[in-house]
Amino acid sequence: MTLSPRFSLTVGLLATLCLAAIIHILVVLSIPKNVQHSAYDNASAYGADRQFNLLPDVRPGQEALPDLDPAMKHAVCRFRLSDGPVLFDASIPVSFWSIGLFNAAGETVYSLNNRTAGADRLSMLVLTTEQLSILRENPPENLEDLIVIETRDMSGFALLRAFVPHPSEAADVDTALKRATCGGIN
Amino acid sequence: MTQLIAKPAAASRSESDWYDEKLPRAIRPHRSHPARTLASIFLVVMLAALLGISSAYLVIEREQPLNSVTIGPWQAYPKAGTSEADPYSVAIYTRGAVVPLASGEGLALIAREDSAGHDLDPTCVYRISGRTPSARLWTLTALDGRGRLAETLPGRVHLSSPNLLRDPDGSFEVTAARRPYSGNWLPLAANAGASDGLRFVLRIYDAPVTTGAALDGVSMPAITRLGCP
Repeated sequence: MTLSPRFSLTVGLLATLCLAAIIHILVVLSIPKNVQHSAYDNASAYGADRQFNLLPDVRPGQEALPDLDPAMKHAVCRFRLSDGPVLFDASIPVSFWSIGLFNAAGETVYSLNNRTAGADRLSMLVLTTEQLSILRENPPENLEDLIVIETRDMSGFALLRAFVPHPSEAADVDTALKRATCGGIN
Repeated sequence: MTQLIAKPAAASRSESDWYDEKLPRAIRPHRSHPARTLASIFLVVMLAALLGISSAYLVIEREQPLNSVTIGPWQAYPKAGTSEADPYSVAIYTRGAVVPLASGEGLALIAREDSAGHDLDPTCVYRISGRTPSARLWTLTALDGRGRLAETLPGRVHLSSPNLLRDPDGSFEVTAARRPYSGNWLPLAANAGASDGLRFVLRIYDAPVTTGAALDGVSMPAITRLGCP
């Protein structure tokens, strides 16, 4: 059986389009697995894991991480829950601060700001379900005051943002961010 | 049609003219051309790869995730950076290593065009006026077309709501230009050409619109082009 030239051309075009669509989808889906620097990797450039590292001020040409607000100061803490639960503690004397919790893929896990935190002080505990059940057997005294977040993501990072209303307050915000802790429960 | 049907009857008389061109195309036996088949398969695969990769590159390079919410010239991507994001947003955000503004923190709205639909140009003068959705705090930042901050004359690249001059009714007017302006001045890139591009980013922090409430119906500031050199 021989196909007419017009029919062959149509089949060829359809095959090209279908194959192109498949390749398009494969390329888009494979990008997240092949990125060289994820936000999680970049966060390690500013200091050790399991402590808040102050990021340099957001200025033209020296942005620590992309898409940060130049009106804010940022501190980042990378953690792995296999090293134990992580307790975040900070007290920042500004009108607005917020913290976002992200997994290693850069997806938001949890976020809150100083109004939704319900207190001036941030005290948040991040752990896995198994770690929570161990902790419940012998709960620390202040467990009631903590914001407890159970997650299945074993590693991730937290980004703490603090608004600097005026450059004269920048030093105070710096000190507060440096004093913020991100580590194990005592 | 009658002619086509008549022909095979005539041709079937002998085996020798089996490949006769007089046979209708549909029942003519296939004479294989391996080189031609291979060449056409190669062509189809190469064309498909070219099309598929270039279209994926274009969509990702545009850096405009799907599922956007558009209010006037402003666009927001509330789903991007969450586990509900579409594959394009995931690709764009992971490729840029972007740390998204989470919903409990605030919402970023990006403008790439003015209210009249023209692309923003860093050499022009713009007026951003009106109201923002109610929020505890908002900041307005000027970025270049690739989403990066650019050097400005005073070194400042943003404005924040607590330091803003407002009209008695609460509305505001911001002039975005590279040269100083009286009132609320948002400095634009000092040495940028029209091809460098311009984006305005309005980040609203702790606003009801970021925590579930519908985004439609909220008022956003208009962007008016006042003049270009």
